[in-house]
Amino acid sequence: MPAPKWLVVARNEYRIHLSRIRKIRPYFPYLAIGLLAIYVAFIAPSFVSLFIGDFFSLFPPQAALAMIVAVMQIMLFTIFFYFIILPITYTLKEVQTGQLEIFLAAPVKPGDVLLGEFLGVMPLYAIAVTVIAGFFTAVLNPLGLDLAQIAIIIITFAVTLFSALWIGTVIAAILRTRLGKTARGKDIGRALALVIALPMIAVMYAIMGGGLISALADPGTSGLVRAILGVLPSSWGAELIVSFASNPGNIGAVGFQTLTRFGGLIVFFVVALWLGAKAANRAYSLETIAFVASRAKPDSAFYKTINYLGGGGSFGTLLVSVFKDYSRRLENLSKIFYMVGILVLVNLLIARPDDPEVAVLLPQFILPLLAAFVVGEVTLRGKEALFIYKKTPSGVARLVKARLLHGLLVVVPIAAVLTAVTTILIPETTLISLLTNTGLVMLTVGANVAFVLGLSLLNPAFSDKSGNYVLNLMITMQALPFGLFLVPLVVFGRVFNLGLYHVLFFVTVPLSWLVGIVFLWLGKRRLSRIE
Amino acid sequence: MKIVIRTDKLSKYYGKGGEIKAVDELDLEVYEGETFGLLGPNGAGKTTTVRLLNCIIKPTKGTATVNGYDILKKETEVKRVTGLLAESPGLYGKLSAQEFLEFMGALYEVSDDILPERIDDLLKLFGLYERRDYLLEGYSRGMKQKILIAAALIHDPPILFLDEPTSMLDPRAALMVKDLIKKLADTAGKTIFICSHILPVVEELCDRIGIINQGRLIAIGTIDEIIAQTGTKTLEDAFIAITGGIEEKELLAWREQKGASA
Repeated sequence: MPAPKWLVVARNEYRIHLSRIRKIRPYFPYLAIGLLAIYVAFIAPSFVSLFIGDFFSLFPPQAALAMIVAVMQIMLFTIFFYFIILPITYTLKEVQTGQLEIFLAAPVKPGDVLLGEFLGVMPLYAIAVTVIAGFFTAVLNPLGLDLAQIAIIIITFAVTLFSALWIGTVIAAILRTRLGKTARGKDIGRALALVIALPMIAVMYAIMGGGLISALADPGTSGLVRAILGVLPSSWGAELIVSFASNPGNIGAVGFQTLTRFGGLIVFFVVALWLGAKAANRAYSLETIAFVASRAKPDSAFYKTINYLGGGGSFGTLLVSVFKDYSRRLENLSKIFYMVGILVLVNLLIARPDDPEVAVLLPQFILPLLAAFVVGEVTLRGKEALFIYKKTPSGVARLVKARLLHGLLVVVPIAAVLTAVTTILIPETTLISLLTNTGLVMLTVGANVAFVLGLSLLNPAFSDKSGNYVLNLMITMQALPFGLFLVPLVVFGRVFNLGLYHVLFFVTVPLSWLVGIVFLWLGKRRLSRIE
Repeated sequence: MKIVIRTDKLSKYYGKGGEIKAVDELDLEVYEGETFGLLGPNGAGKTTTVRLLNCIIKPTKGTATVNGYDILKKETEVKRVTGLLAESPGLYGKLSAQEFLEFMGALYEVSDDILPERIDDLLKLFGLYERRDYLLEGYSRGMKQKILIAAALIHDPPILFLDEPTSMLDPRAALMVKDLIKKLADTAGKTIFICSHILPVVEELCDRIGIINQGRLIAIGTIDEIIAQTGTKTLEDAFIAITGGIEEKELLAWREQKGASA
């Protein structure tokens, strides 16, 4: 008797996800189970024992419990959300519908494909679920929970997180079908893959900033946040766990909560499964949705201005072409949006600047990455795209000039606006502070653009998955904020007793431009010799 | 002769009010054991026709039968009796050739008793046996094409749909695939439906051809019949005559623009 189709698909999916460790794949399940058993039995309890005693002695019992509720709610919400977006992000990064044709041509039902894709990755997610459940069980164990309570907690984790994974798998399959048929759709997918993580980052920052957990733990505040979180299935599990923690070894005392919360979770999971199975036909289809191809509009005033800024003529046209190719990719715009979002979130949730110096400090750490995203994509379209320039007279010099101008025209205004707004929002800001902050950030970020462009040409990455791309990002994130800003700040601050603004103006800006120009020259030289 | 593929006003329309007619009232019959070629320019509707006949998409109106099974009512049976080499299918780059063929065999319910041996035989046939454990992401386009042809054959279906079967192959591999197609038709009695715009391939392999343009079947018959119908001497001339070509005087018109002669 042939194997069920969902099992065939699941096995295939599992193989694909473990292709990097093909040599040990047959032993992987035993290895994973063994290591997880050691983790659950020894590592997690030992780790938790390092702090759990201090935690309970620091807070009165009621406050500790409120804190645990808040942490549980936030953690489960974060992990719930993460399990939803992970398959979506994975799919959207590289939307492919070619494989759909294989399934649709074969005698296999869409529901089997969906279930198979879910079950195929489930063992890998089960590792994460075990790690999380093992940790929380270890946290709650000192309270004296009985076996039934521990079992229900573990099942609660599994049901909550696998519900999220199933929802993510269904959404990912639908998005793949909707977006994968056109170049525009694939571009939208890649754009979404990045920005979809922003809400979760916001929650993480809110935790790191310390506001969210204390607000949730405080019964007098955050009614709305608590109400919103309470509606989510992730919170039902948290409430159940906390009710067990309040009544260790006495499941009967919280029978109603157990029934409603645990029962609710099971119902939620079943309903999610049913709805997902219903959506399977939509999730696997090659029916063309739109025949409308993207069309270019006549050049707007914006592009005419860019042409003018490029000096008109053939270079102006070249610069406009670079702008068009860049800005018509939603993926590029989403990277800008993402970085702007990160800077805003850091300002709002973590740094909360109350001094103009903080407003000029943060961009030094975050904006180099914006520069890396904008000009770092110079080589990502492949060697062939670079060879177009190499083939033309003075093409390399014109490419470098055009990409530098493009980078400056995109990154510097964004940096200026963000810094200006952050500075203005600080109470009692003076006009001098505003102009100084904005000007200094514009100068440093301009140099960052030159550096990143040079680096990207010097160490070209022909795909955003390549090691070179990651290396360039790492170098940018280390060399610019630390090498050219933080180290000089510490050294010159101590040796010459210079303040932040003086270091920025007299050291960081000139040094950044010097390094930027050197890298630009090296990069151009490398591009001329690239084969 | 037994008809194994019959389309009855088969149509696929897209857009508001169905203004884009990808396939328009296609009436076609393909006989058992014959190699039929569907020719047409890019966007003519060849791939849509193949997808309709393989139940990958549903017709807007009309229907078809494949091996006696209605494509609207017996999807699973249709899929069982057909093998498809799609125009631009996605391979699983993270699977090896062997693993991919195992997967395809399992999808098509090939018995475990014969699957390993069949995979080995197909890999040897296509000269990929020594590389069976390499991940497909490292294969060249031609090698991937060979694996896809092997996948289409894995369940030994009576009807094969091959969309541009030799387009990515080097001359040696293309010759082998053409010989394979001939053998499958002549010796194994398979019905083969080829989509292509490589005319020499179609001329060499096909017993009959149909020419499709803008979704409509505009000519059908043997190659000699079609050449005779159009009053031309070659299939290429016949194809151009039927589908419309560019007049010679237009080809260099761009040079006559102001300033170009300088």
